[in-house]
This record gives sequence, structure tokens and C-alpha cells, in this order.
Amino acid sequence: MEGNRSPILSVSDLSVSYGLISAVRNISIDLYEGEFVTLIGANGAGKTTFLESVLGMHPAVRGRVFFQGKEITNWSTDRIVALGLTLCPEGRGILPAMSVLENLQLGAFHHRRHMPESLEKVFELFPILERRRHGRAGNLSGGEQQMLSIGRALMAGPKLLMLDEPSLGLAPIVVTEVFKIVTRLAELGHTILLAEQNAKKALQYASRGYVFETGRIAFEGSAGELMHNEDVVRVYMGARTNG
Amino acid sequence: MEALIAQCVNGLAVGSIYALIVTGFNLLLLVAGVVQYSYAHIIVIGMYTAWFVMQVTGGGLLLAIPSAIAVSTVVSMLTEPLFRPLARKGAVNQTFVMSIGISMILTHVMAKHLHQGIPISFPDALSGRTAAIEFGVIAVSKGQIFVFFGSIAAVAAFMLLLYRTMMGRALRAMAQSPIIAKLVGVPTVRMSMASYGIAGFLGGVTAVFVAMSLGSAYPALADSLGIKVIATVLFAGLGNLNGGLVCGLILGMAESLTTGYLPGQWSNALAFAMIMVTVMFKPQGLFGTRI
Repeated sequence: MEGNRSPILSVSDLSVSYGLISAVRNISIDLYEGEFVTLIGANGAGKTTFLESVLGMHPAVRGRVFFQGKEITNWSTDRIVALGLTLCPEGRGILPAMSVLENLQLGAFHHRRHMPESLEKVFELFPILERRRHGRAGNLSGGEQQMLSIGRALMAGPKLLMLDEPSLGLAPIVVTEVFKIVTRLAELGHTILLAEQNAKKALQYASRGYVFETGRIAFEGSAGELMHNEDVVRVYMGARTNG
Repeated sequence: MEALIAQCVNGLAVGSIYALIVTGFNLLLLVAGVVQYSYAHIIVIGMYTAWFVMQVTGGGLLLAIPSAIAVSTVVSMLTEPLFRPLARKGAVNQTFVMSIGISMILTHVMAKHLHQGIPISFPDALSGRTAAIEFGVIAVSKGQIFVFFGSIAAVAAFMLLLYRTMMGRALRAMAQSPIIAKLVGVPTVRMSMASYGIAGFLGGVTAVFVAMSLGSAYPALADSLGIKVIATVLFAGLGNLNGGLVCGLILGMAESLTTGYLPGQWSNALAFAMIMVTVMFKPQGLFGTRI
């Protein structure tokens, strides 16, 4: 692919368990700077566990994670975020009782010196957040909360932005809006790793993908390859996705 | 009439101390996830520290006050590892049991090894009892004024920390959702540790105020304060910072007024009455729980 450069994120043979139950097994993924890569798969296939494990939220039973050449396996989450790896969690993960502005400020915990510029950039991308900045974050609509979640992640000056199911629970129009924003971020040079149940949508925008099935990677390839892979199409793109 | 006003003034001073203790207690409940019954005991240890330093230095406040604050901070932080395995599991009720155990140890130490359990008394200079300001026939001691405004200042400083600093935002995030806070990059372990330190610091400041207000300290004071803190927090609503402030003042006022107008020890029963009323009529507290 981008053979000569070394990957910004390199996961090698990662396995994570919840007690005795294996959640993900032998996951190996390489991500290069500037790429927009997607992880697709059904609910419960292990995508969320994988992303959270990369972020240090779950201990790795086996395998290693490298970020910008540095090994970060089993590092604490705050150290990993400080390095520039952020996650917009499933369900947005915003703090509803705090204001929009406070949620954004919190994102800059490890990036405080750049807070004014980061805030300006986020408000430029998401004018609605600026307008509602003193409002309670819990009063935002689903789509606006997703923007807040992304904005908060951007406040950390991330080198790699991970998103978990950004389309979850959103109306189709809003979903398209969100994907357009993510694409815009990719165009601006951000490296994106996006987990999605909506395989069709995700492969429209990403350049490359991995298919998760019961904790393992079943398929991988370019978006084009996956969209034309019979098995992938049959299982993941047959029926209409849940809205 | 003058007596009533005097009682009210006293009530505000005592109430503001309760409000301050409740604030530290709520901080630990919200951020560290522990019910720190022995918080009051740490405060009394702070009082003993101030007294010992004054004994050794011949009455100097300059060293006594920082010593009280330093010791309270350190002792509070030393309890963190004891609570850690329970807090990690989210076993809040078990932290309560642990804190009772700690309180028993601290009470024992005070009763057996600090001045052999004999009450210690603070010089009148500290309590400002001698220097009073008079409004007509009403005398308000300097100590009461200092304690009231000092407590307000301490609570205000704490609220400033909580609502105007990055650390405060991180603490509030942890109180609302430890998982989201962690995910966003908040160093949750360090912040939890910090909350023990902040609570301890506030406790040391409180120790000075209690010394000024009461003029003396004794081992049983710790449990007495501890029960009042628990009662106030339950009455206001667990983890409710603003509610805790209001109810602390209410308890202080109520105690002061009943001391004046009811015979004997009825004022001490108030705290227990608060618990009863809460459990029977509004378990979530007057202002609602926040945890």
C-alpha cells in the first residue's frame, strides 16, 4: 500500500478478554498517516473492544500496539491520549451536565497551551457548537452531540482520530452530514479509523477496510475490493441497516 | 431578642463549619467514590496537631496553622491506598465500613496517645473570645466573624477550583462519569489521589476554624462531628454540593437555637432527627442525590 513509510498505528496480534470470554483475537492492523480506514462488522463483533483496547482501556492478553513507532501496549489511557490518539466513543460519550464549551475544554486536558486555537478551529468546523457553547451539552440533538464528540477529540490535537459508530441512532440525513464532516477532516490531513455497522456507508467514504467477525478479522482490503467481495456484500450489505 | 440574635450569629458560624466539612466529604464521595466517615477524625487530628505545635513553639499561630493543614492533607492522602481496592470496584457501601474502621483507629490513637485522651484546650487568643465587637447589647466575638467569613472564603476558593480550572473540570467529569473522563484522557488515578489531598487540605483549614469555635478538642469530638456530617449529607442528598452547604448552615442554626431554648442535650439529637426524617420521608435528600 503505502509501503515505504512506517505506519502511524501498528497493532500486532492483539487479543483482549473480558474475564474468560475472549472479545478480540489475533488482530493485526496497520494504519498509515493520512489514511481513512474503516472497521466494519456486526454489533458485538469486537470493534468497540478493539478501539478501546488501543486506547488502553482494556489490558491486552496478548499482542502489541505501536503508535508512531513507540510501543504503547498496556499504557494508561491518559498517556496514550497525551500522545495524540483520541477516540469518539460509541454513543458520543459527552458529559450532558456540563456545557458544550466545558466539554470541549476538557478535551484539551493534555493540549492546554493550544486551547484558544483549537477552540477556534472547532468552532469554524462546527458553528452550531459556537452558538450553543454555554448551553447544557445534554440538550443538544444526537447529530450535534456527535459533532461535540468529534470537536472534543480535535481539542486534543490528535495525530489519529478514532470514531466508534458515529452513525448510531442518527437519522439518515444527519448520518450523511457526519460522514461529510469526517471526510472533511480526512481532507484536512487527519488520520481516521472509523468503526461502523453501516458497512455500505462506511465503504463509500473510507479508502480501506477490515471486516470484524466474532472478534477476528475475516476480510481486509481496499474499499472497492470489499464492496465487490461476494461474502462481504451478502452478509453486511444485503438488508437495509437499522436507522 | 438579643439572645436570639446571638444564637443566630453562633448558628451561622457553626453552620458554616458544617458546610465546609460537608463540602470536603462530598468531594471524596463524588470523585474518589468513598464515604469518608473518618474525615471528621482527620480534622480533629489536625486540631491536635495545631495544639501540639503551639505547645512546642509557645503559642505561635504562624507554625500551628500550616502544620494542622499539612498533617490533615497527608493523613487524608494516606487513607487512599486503604480505599483503593474498594473504590476501584465501585463498592461505595464497603468504603463506608472501611472508613468506620479507620475512625476507630484514629479515635483510639487520640484517646490513648494524644494527651492521654484528656481534652486539649486552645488559648482564648485563638478563639477570639476575648476580643468582641459589640452592636448595642449584642456581642459577636472576632472568632465567630473570622470563622464565618473564613469558611465562606474556603468554600468559594474550592468552587473556583471546581468551576474555573482545568483540574476542576476533570474532577467534575470524574464525578459524572469515571469512564468518559478516563476515555477523554483525564488521569483518573492521579485525580482521585488529588481529591484526597484537596479534601485533607480543606479539613486542615476546618480544624483551625473548629479550634477557634469550640476552644477545645477531645477524642469523642471526632465521632460527634462525623455523625453530623453524615446526617447533613443524607439530609441534603448524597453528593449534592450546593445542598450540602445549605443544610450545613441549617443544622448549625438549628443546633444553636435549640441549645438556647431547649433543655439539656436536645441539640445533639438534631443530627439523628435529620437522619430519621430523611429516611422516612425523602430518602434521596432535600435537594436530591448527585451520585
